[in-house]
Amino acid sequence: MELEELKHLWNESNRKLEASSRLNTLLFAQWNLRKADTLLKRLAGGTAFELIVNLIGIVLLGWFAADHVHEPRFFIPAAMLDVYAIALAVAGVRQVFELRSLDYDEPVVAIQDRVQRLKLARIRATMGTLLFAPLMWVPLLIVATRGLFGIDIYAVASPAWLVANALFGLGVIPIAVVIARAFGPRLEHATAIRSLADQIAGRSLAAALDDLAALRRFAEEG
Amino acid sequence: MRTNDAQTAFVDRLNRHRGILVKVAGAYCRDPAGREDLVAEIVAQLWRGYGRFDERAAFSTWMYRIAVNVAISFRRTELRKTRNVEPAEPAILETLPSPPDARSDDALALLREFIEELDELNRALMLLYLDDNSYAEIAAILGISETNVATKIGRIKQRLKRDIATR
Repeated sequence: MELEELKHLWNESNRKLEASSRLNTLLFAQWNLRKADTLLKRLAGGTAFELIVNLIGIVLLGWFAADHVHEPRFFIPAAMLDVYAIALAVAGVRQVFELRSLDYDEPVVAIQDRVQRLKLARIRATMGTLLFAPLMWVPLLIVATRGLFGIDIYAVASPAWLVANALFGLGVIPIAVVIARAFGPRLEHATAIRSLADQIAGRSLAAALDDLAALRRFAEEG
Repeated sequence: MRTNDAQTAFVDRLNRHRGILVKVAGAYCRDPAGREDLVAEIVAQLWRGYGRFDERAAFSTWMYRIAVNVAISFRRTELRKTRNVEPAEPAILETLPSPPDARSDDALALLREFIEELDELNRALMLLYLDDNSYAEIAAILGISETNVATKIGRIKQRLKRDIATR
């Protein structure tokens, strides 16, 4: 069968399908289209919520750091946490702006390129959060015990204990990567955990980079 | 805020071009329930962008761009999980079953199978080509050069010929 004949059959079939379909205009009138305007808003909303939590954290940490500016043993961990929170907030603000400015009525390749870059940024931000979080455990312990309960952890715990905890945090990262690489693909039914494992193992990043490369090849090939 | 007149005009245009909804949703989603969700998603995004629609441009080109962009995003799990709207009950686009046509069904099944094997962008290209869009229109919808469109369509045709020959 020739392609032109196939094309003709295809169009015939679609014409029939179109003729047998109708837009449910009554339903359409009842359907609140303003409410429907929420895909990007919802995505941006989720990121905006994280952003608000981050901003509260930044303010509280800044406050704590200012209060302990002459006590480096408290000031340094608070500043580390603040920098971490600021980095997350900057990534969040960028994502919210990108999501809000996304218009699906631009050419497909351009939009998909933006969507893909946005996805990459999100994956990198999540990877950063997940992989840096264990390192932040000791500074968080120092700041939280002081800030919330007024306890000086340096006086309660030995330096060796704090160092051991910091090293444990450092050790957790490669262990998490190894576990995610080994067990992630087996978690077929636990979608959320699988997604987390894929991000820690770098599979999500590799897949997103591959998709972006394929998209660019599609646009560039002559 | 958009008026009821704008909504009426939008629905009227959408109804005249509902074939695009049928084709794009059909090409990107085989599962009927998923297809309904996809149609609802496309319609929601069309309405979202309707205020910015340039009346000098062709409605079909604009609609194709949004429909294909939404369909590609819809296929990607992450966006499917954050669904835009609750699925409409009953469906926004109702389709009645059409009588089977044995002569064309096999050939169409072959073509559908071929389209499904294509990646998301080449699938859009093939869909637009089958829908008799000119190379210039395809280039405008996808955002690539006409030469690129011609080259890719040539390759797809060759591949389809080989596929047909081997079956």
